[in-house]
Amino acid sequence: MRFFSSSVFSSVLLVAAGVAEAASSWNFDEAIISVQSKGAGNGLKDKLSDHVPLAKPVTFGPTDALKIVLTATEGGKAKRPHQAFLLLRDQDTGLEATLPFSVKETGKGKVDFTQKDLPPQLLTSSQPLRATLLIASFGPSQAFSNHVFDLDVQTDPSAPLPPYEKPLRYGKLAEIHHIFKADAKSGPKIFSLFFALAVLATVPILFGAWAYLGANVDHLAKATKTAPIAHTLFFGAIATMEGIFFMYYTSWNLFQTLPVAGVVGLVAFLSGSKALSEVQSRRLAGER
Amino acid sequence: MTAATSDSLLKKSTGRNTRGLLRLVILCTIAAAAVASRLFSVIRFESIIHEFDPWFNFRATKYLVANGFYDFWDWFDDRTWHPLGRVTGGTLYPGLMVTSGIIWHALRALTLPVDIRNICVLLAPGFSGLTAFATYLFTNEMTTSPSAGLLAAVFMGIAPGYISRSVAGSYDNEAIAIFLLVFTFYLWIKALKVGSVFWGALCALFYGYMVSAWGGYVFITNLIPLHVFVLVCMGRFSPRLYVSYTTWYAIGTLASMQIPFVGFLPIRSSEHMSALGVFGLLQLVGFVEFVRAAIPSKQFGTLLRGFVLLVFAISLFGLVTLTFAGVIAPWTGRFYSLWDTGYAKIHIPIIASVSEHQPTAWPAFFFDLNMLIWLFPAGVYLCFLKLNDEQVFVVVYSILASYFSGVMVRLMLTLTPVVCVSAALAMSYILDSYLTVKSPETPESVSSTADSSVSGNGSTASAKKAAKQEGGLRANRQPLVGIYTLFSKISVVSAMTAYLLIFVAHCTWVTSNAYSSPSVVLASRLPDGSQHIIDDYREAYQWLRQNTAEDAKIMSWWDYGYQIGGMADRPTLVDNNTWNNTHIATVGKAMSSKEEVSYPIMRQHEVDYVLVVFGGLLGYSGDDINKFLWMVRIAEGIWPDEVKERNFFTDRGEYAVDDRATQTMKDSLMYKMSYYNYNSLFPPGQATDRVRGVKMPEVGPVLNTVEEAFTSENWIIRIYKVKDLDNVGRDHASAASFERGNKKKKVTKRRGPKVLRVE
Amino acid sequence: MRWLLSFLFLGLLGVAQALSASGNRLLVVLEELDDKSKYSKYFGDLEGRGFQITYESPKSESVGLFTLGERAYEHLLILPSKSKGLGPNLTPKILLEFINKGGNILLTLSAITPTPTALVSLLLELDIHLPTERNALVVDHFNYDTLSASEKHDVVLLPRPDTIRPGVKNFFKGDGKGGEVIAFPRGVGQSLGNTSPLLTPVLRAPRTAYSYNPKDEAESLEDVFAAGPQLSLVTTMQARNSARFTVVGSAEMLEDGWFTGEVKRSVGMGGVGTDAKKVKTCNQAFAKEITGWAFQEIGVLKVGKIEHRLNEGVRSNITNPKIYRVKNDVEYSIELSEWSWDKWVPFTPVAEDVVQLEFSMLSPFHRLDLAASGTTTNSTVFTTSFKLPDQHGIFNFKVNYKRPFLTNVEEKNTVTVRHFAHDEYPRSWVISGAWPWIAGIAATITGWLGFVALWLWSKPVPLKLTTSGKKIQ
Repeated sequence: MRFFSSSVFSSVLLVAAGVAEAASSWNFDEAIISVQSKGAGNGLKDKLSDHVPLAKPVTFGPTDALKIVLTATEGGKAKRPHQAFLLLRDQDTGLEATLPFSVKETGKGKVDFTQKDLPPQLLTSSQPLRATLLIASFGPSQAFSNHVFDLDVQTDPSAPLPPYEKPLRYGKLAEIHHIFKADAKSGPKIFSLFFALAVLATVPILFGAWAYLGANVDHLAKATKTAPIAHTLFFGAIATMEGIFFMYYTSWNLFQTLPVAGVVGLVAFLSGSKALSEVQSRRLAGER
Repeated sequence: MTAATSDSLLKKSTGRNTRGLLRLVILCTIAAAAVASRLFSVIRFESIIHEFDPWFNFRATKYLVANGFYDFWDWFDDRTWHPLGRVTGGTLYPGLMVTSGIIWHALRALTLPVDIRNICVLLAPGFSGLTAFATYLFTNEMTTSPSAGLLAAVFMGIAPGYISRSVAGSYDNEAIAIFLLVFTFYLWIKALKVGSVFWGALCALFYGYMVSAWGGYVFITNLIPLHVFVLVCMGRFSPRLYVSYTTWYAIGTLASMQIPFVGFLPIRSSEHMSALGVFGLLQLVGFVEFVRAAIPSKQFGTLLRGFVLLVFAISLFGLVTLTFAGVIAPWTGRFYSLWDTGYAKIHIPIIASVSEHQPTAWPAFFFDLNMLIWLFPAGVYLCFLKLNDEQVFVVVYSILASYFSGVMVRLMLTLTPVVCVSAALAMSYILDSYLTVKSPETPESVSSTADSSVSGNGSTASAKKAAKQEGGLRANRQPLVGIYTLFSKISVVSAMTAYLLIFVAHCTWVTSNAYSSPSVVLASRLPDGSQHIIDDYREAYQWLRQNTAEDAKIMSWWDYGYQIGGMADRPTLVDNNTWNNTHIATVGKAMSSKEEVSYPIMRQHEVDYVLVVFGGLLGYSGDDINKFLWMVRIAEGIWPDEVKERNFFTDRGEYAVDDRATQTMKDSLMYKMSYYNYNSLFPPGQATDRVRGVKMPEVGPVLNTVEEAFTSENWIIRIYKVKDLDNVGRDHASAASFERGNKKKKVTKRRGPKVLRVE
Repeated sequence: MRWLLSFLFLGLLGVAQALSASGNRLLVVLEELDDKSKYSKYFGDLEGRGFQITYESPKSESVGLFTLGERAYEHLLILPSKSKGLGPNLTPKILLEFINKGGNILLTLSAITPTPTALVSLLLELDIHLPTERNALVVDHFNYDTLSASEKHDVVLLPRPDTIRPGVKNFFKGDGKGGEVIAFPRGVGQSLGNTSPLLTPVLRAPRTAYSYNPKDEAESLEDVFAAGPQLSLVTTMQARNSARFTVVGSAEMLEDGWFTGEVKRSVGMGGVGTDAKKVKTCNQAFAKEITGWAFQEIGVLKVGKIEHRLNEGVRSNITNPKIYRVKNDVEYSIELSEWSWDKWVPFTPVAEDVVQLEFSMLSPFHRLDLAASGTTTNSTVFTTSFKLPDQHGIFNFKVNYKRPFLTNVEEKNTVTVRHFAHDEYPRSWVISGAWPWIAGIAATITGWLGFVALWLWSKPVPLKLTTSGKKIQ
């Protein structure tokens, strides 16, 4: 049996001395950890210390079987404790799995497990699991607990992990911001302006061409003399119609537009047939 | 019919005005007959909107009347397609609703406040009268025979092919669209004949109206260009053609683009490209003709023709390129299914699932058209005899429409007008030939053929055959027709009269028996012969209306969406406007999956009630179990890994609902909801499904996530309420099992490692 | 009339505000009515806080949780009883119904008297598992009371519980100074299923504790039911309707003896407690917190006004419209109060926690943290503003604030988000790309008017060019 090197623990013993058996405490002897690997024979075998954890983490592969054999002692004598647990703690989440030793009357205890025996949450831990050994029982004896080794669980990347879905826990969730579709964009204004002007430029060209070809409005006087009302109304109605369209484009709705357009259209039709027959009469007279 | 015959009798003896008046009276009578024959359903049942789609149109019309035109235009409907909603104003053809709205406002202005429902119910019969008139006008453009128009009008008025979509209460787009179709064609022929901008513009305006009323406008959009193309190919290009087509195309396209649902389709989609292409072709041809007139050189003309072909080829190539580049929308699935009837079943089950999209069975032609179907080819043949531009139109129309009506039952509707017109041409030709009292005088030039026609016992067919031998298809050659014996006259006329009488009887019978059921209300006969009304649909919809929250979302198969929206006034997940296949597939998946799969879907879509139609008790075959495979197929189209049609068939490939049913079938929500508690109606082991005619399993299905809320009198409609999540966090199966008194088994033997609780 | 009613309502509210947010009728179920003297301090505390206590034995005929289908009590406290069942009036179904109707239950267990099967199966429904052995009890060889349980180690001493995870409000910390000790004598530990989010352990056993069956002859433990923090000593379950169900593993800890008793801890892991002194337990204070939570005296949230409105530059005066348009800027605010023993106080989430608003259709389009924008005397107003997504549909403003130990807040306000109406798009003259087309229209109109004028009034000119044979008017 070894004594605790730490002074704290010796003081523990002193304080607890109120009870007769306080001096005794739980510990273990002859703790052997072994990892048996199926197939590849590079097994590990080491001795656990009761005050210092193993220097290197124990590697624990997907097919490995880990076994710890120890003898529990109380006050130096091998005895069977009520509680002999190996705790494996996930350092990320603080989750801890409890693996009880099966202890015989003689105090000889044994625990062996494979990855299949571990809770699925522990298999995905990013850090090695921290193994703590607990040995305790009823009565006044001092219970034993210490960090004995680290367990580096290596899962088989090819085989799927046992199904584990993170359960729903209420709490705040990540923010979401809707991503808007980009607005429709027009090309550079300068191009629009250029082409708009180019289109507008056709008007003077058209009028110029007409003028060059001898277009004129010389018959205006003649026409207004023969059918003054018809011509004025007709041309007026056509111009007004464009005005109505403009109003519709800018502010009017359909129900404001339609009646006005109807009236103007009727005027255009009636006066138009008059005006156009006047034009025809001129044509028939050979003046066109 | 007698009216028509007397008309031709009176032709010679009375004056123009009398004949005109008589014609008007006859037309009015025809219109009245057309309207009257469509009122069976109102008389037999009541003034009620029929079927499915009309319920939406009715609801939309009510919205239009209540909220005005602009609100209707911008209508966002938040009570359908929950939770997506539907931009209804932008995804419907507003013509029908606006028409009813205008009629409603006009009647109110005349201080005749009529319920909008009655306007909607009677709109289709009213328009059928107009259709008869339009057919009269159209036919009159085809022939000089005055009786042909009247015959066509009366055929159109009572042909079951058209009545099927226009009985009172069948408030659907087709109700006004067929009138617009025929009238647009009339105006097109008129414009083509006259070559006037005025008629062309009128035609375009009615085309615009047609676009606003029915998606079938594409038929016009393709038929008129095809007609023009054929004319150009026949070398019949003329300034009249140029003027009328370009006017129609320019104004018509602009008009059609005013409908938000159509929008830029006329310049972006393949279906409209033929119109654009022919427009371009006409410009080219027009240009070439102009140049050729100016430069009379033969070689140059050939060169020009080559140039035309080159440009045409280049633009065709450009069109194809643009289609592949995605600038022009490629052909839609619906279009492909017009050429390959099997296409829809494989690629777009949602289209194939609609019964009216199935290929037509041949008896349907006779059922819908009776004797017209055999008069039809004769009429088309007569058009070949006198092949003017307008006759070419009838020929093109009949070829195209015949094909399409064979592909889809629904398109029988577009065939009907041309069948009526052609049949009337044939019939009037027969009657005109046989009803003359005088014997014809033999013209010297064709005396030899006249002999043969006389010896052929007065058969027109042989006369025509003779004419064909003589002159083939040349329109300018007049075939010789003449009947000399009174016996042949009487026998043929009486045979024709008998046919006409049978036709009328057939139409009446079909209308009354096949097309006048509102399908919302079912009629059956009691043993004593009296009529018994099965009113489960309305009972259920009324229940929904009165017992559920105003915004309770109802999940049902899409067939019932419009009815639930219209009659129960409750939001639905999917409806008959099948614009979103994924959403429908979601519902299909919910119906065809296990409860545990369906429940999250229903929760996500905030479903409160699920409605299924079950005909097993009554033997009503149009129920959801019979439609179920379509739900599975549509769902499989989106989630091929989760829903598999194969799993719903037994090993022997049967679609069974009884003991042989597969586990997938028995686990599906639809099956469970249909047969839930059905056993309790029968003595143990006696439960029978009367539609499938099978005995049901002893033990009925168990439902955990939904609970029965309502079952109608004859079990046709069953409504289930979707349960809330369990209050204490159990899954539904264990909660329901606890409710039934089963104790939860304590897990004694743990398998695998212990799962630690994580906080 | 309305003001009278509201006065009446306010009056009622005043009465109700004497204590629990849900009501003050409490039914205590205990086997022998004489036993209640054991808990006199505890009941005294409850009565002092205004509870109206009815004591009933489970065997009594008159015990009933419902009268005429309505809850007869708001709260139910079940103390251990020796009988195997709880009688026909307290079946698991009835107890579950009580929870479903919003009643709160505080259930105490004891290792001395086995738990009735009715309660075991009720707990099983809630995914709370008890050891299969009916006499199982929790021992800890590291943290036991050396005064009363030096041999058996079955009086576990624990510090006040820590927050189970960040962002959770801890009602059971006392004044937070630490150093206080809770005695947990002869209790039954529970193990909780991993799936249910409704369960939250309040007091978890120390790492070294475990549950075992004292009747078991074997001297060593081969299979452990649960150990360490996986063993919950005091468990809470808050149902979706915010009804609370609390399991206290040791009824004894509520007894007078442990309220005043003194304890001294043993040496624990790593040698803590080597110089432990005798201390008074804080069981009384802890019992108050646990009972207060169980009977909704603390941690009850209330939603006041919920407002959403258009806020595009100017705040609209119309609150809670039914319909918005895509890309509208809106503002949302919700008022939350928290019940703290006897009054509503402004609610403030703990650090690392935040009230969130989801704007969702099928799935959330926005999930935004709500910021406290102001407080009234008894509520906090949480606000945020955002731009509605560019997707039309039926959306929900959803505040789904569910946290352990706080009652559930699930507020859903449905609005329709419509598309742009035909006259809400930018006008064509604003779009520079449309200028050539507008210019085109202007040019066409001018040309047309000119053409009409020429057609009507032009005088023919003598033909000048005749080379091509064309005639020019």
